[in-house]
Amino acid sequence: MNESKPLKVVISGPVGAGKTTFVQSLSEIPVVNTDETASEDIGKATTTVALDFGMLTLDGIPIHLFGTPGQDRFDFMWEILCEGALGLMLLVAGDRPQDFPHARRILEFITSRIAVPFLLGVTRQDLPRVWEPEDVAEYFDLAPEQVIGINATSSTSSLLATVRLLELVEAYDPFYAENLQGHYDFGGTVIKSVKKT
Amino acid sequence: MSVGKQEALQNALKSLRIAIPEVRGALVASTDGLPMAQNLSGNEDPNRVAAMAATALGLGKRISDTLNGGTLTETSVSGTEGQIFLYAAGNKGVLVVVTPANVNIGLVHLEARDAARSIANIL
Ligand SMILES: Nc1nc2c(ncn2[C@@H]2O[C@H](COP(=O)(O)OP(=O)(O)OP(=O)(O)O)[C@@H](O)[C@H]2O)c(=O)[nH]1
Ligand SMILES: [Mg+2]
Repeated sequence: MNESKPLKVVISGPVGAGKTTFVQSLSEIPVVNTDETASEDIGKATTTVALDFGMLTLDGIPIHLFGTPGQDRFDFMWEILCEGALGLMLLVAGDRPQDFPHARRILEFITSRIAVPFLLGVTRQDLPRVWEPEDVAEYFDLAPEQVIGINATSSTSSLLATVRLLELVEAYDPFYAENLQGHYDFGGTVIKSVKKT
Repeated sequence: MSVGKQEALQNALKSLRIAIPEVRGALVASTDGLPMAQNLSGNEDPNRVAAMAATALGLGKRISDTLNGGTLTETSVSGTEGQIFLYAAGNKGVLVVVTPANVNIGLVHLEARDAARSIANIL
């Protein structure tokens, strides 16, 4: 089962959306973290300058998580990290609607370069007064099932979102779906596992 | 950043270019990728160079950590037409030095490490 081809998932979104937090909540290995002290006021002490890298295994599928930086000046990394990605998790902070246009630009930047299925994760659902996923779906003009509420600090919540993204990947890519076999139960959600190669 | 600091950084870059005339450009960036001082000869965008320098140095640090290389001091990129050396300037800055491909690397390191030390002190 561990010989399955790894599935590359990219996590992107604006500054402070929770990309680094999300990768840290999910990874089963020590995360490669490239946060540096922020020299501007961005509402937090550090910011990602290269990438976050973590791994997890979901029912035998090794998943490689690549978090991007959020600041525009690192847009070359969005391009590099998205190469070969099978799924995109776009995160926005539910209490920062002012960042939604930026999130939309990142989404367009990435999806205009590679055709990749994506899930929009609205983080900070554990906090009061945040945008609900349904409203964010409306804002982004997306189907409600393409948007999910997340608490990126919780591994269970992050894992559920990842399972949902895998379902989208499976539905999206017929070639990938061809390589799927068997159903496995995970956290109450049924997902499929990749055939051994 | 204060005017005094800015000027001190510019002077450090200027002395570096005087010491090694072959140097095609030099820049100081913060470790989170913002340009702080520059002396580039071409039409390179300093914002982009600064961001890339921070990315390369940030990644280099983690590679060094992972392979037990200790604290990162420098990393470099070599192409057929030129070389780019990136030096950690304390824990706040990155010094970027662009040279032709056939430069005397020993001399570049000697001068640039010195410059990186004074830049670290300024910051
Ligand atoms: N309560 C709560 N806090 C969150 C959530 N997601 C992120 N945070 C917090 O928000 C802050 C920013 O998170 P990061 O993960 O650094 O953000 P990022 O998207 O990686 O940001 P950049 O790398 O700068 O682009 C951290 O302090 C997190 O703990 C969430 O779902 N709930
Ligand atoms: Mg981050």
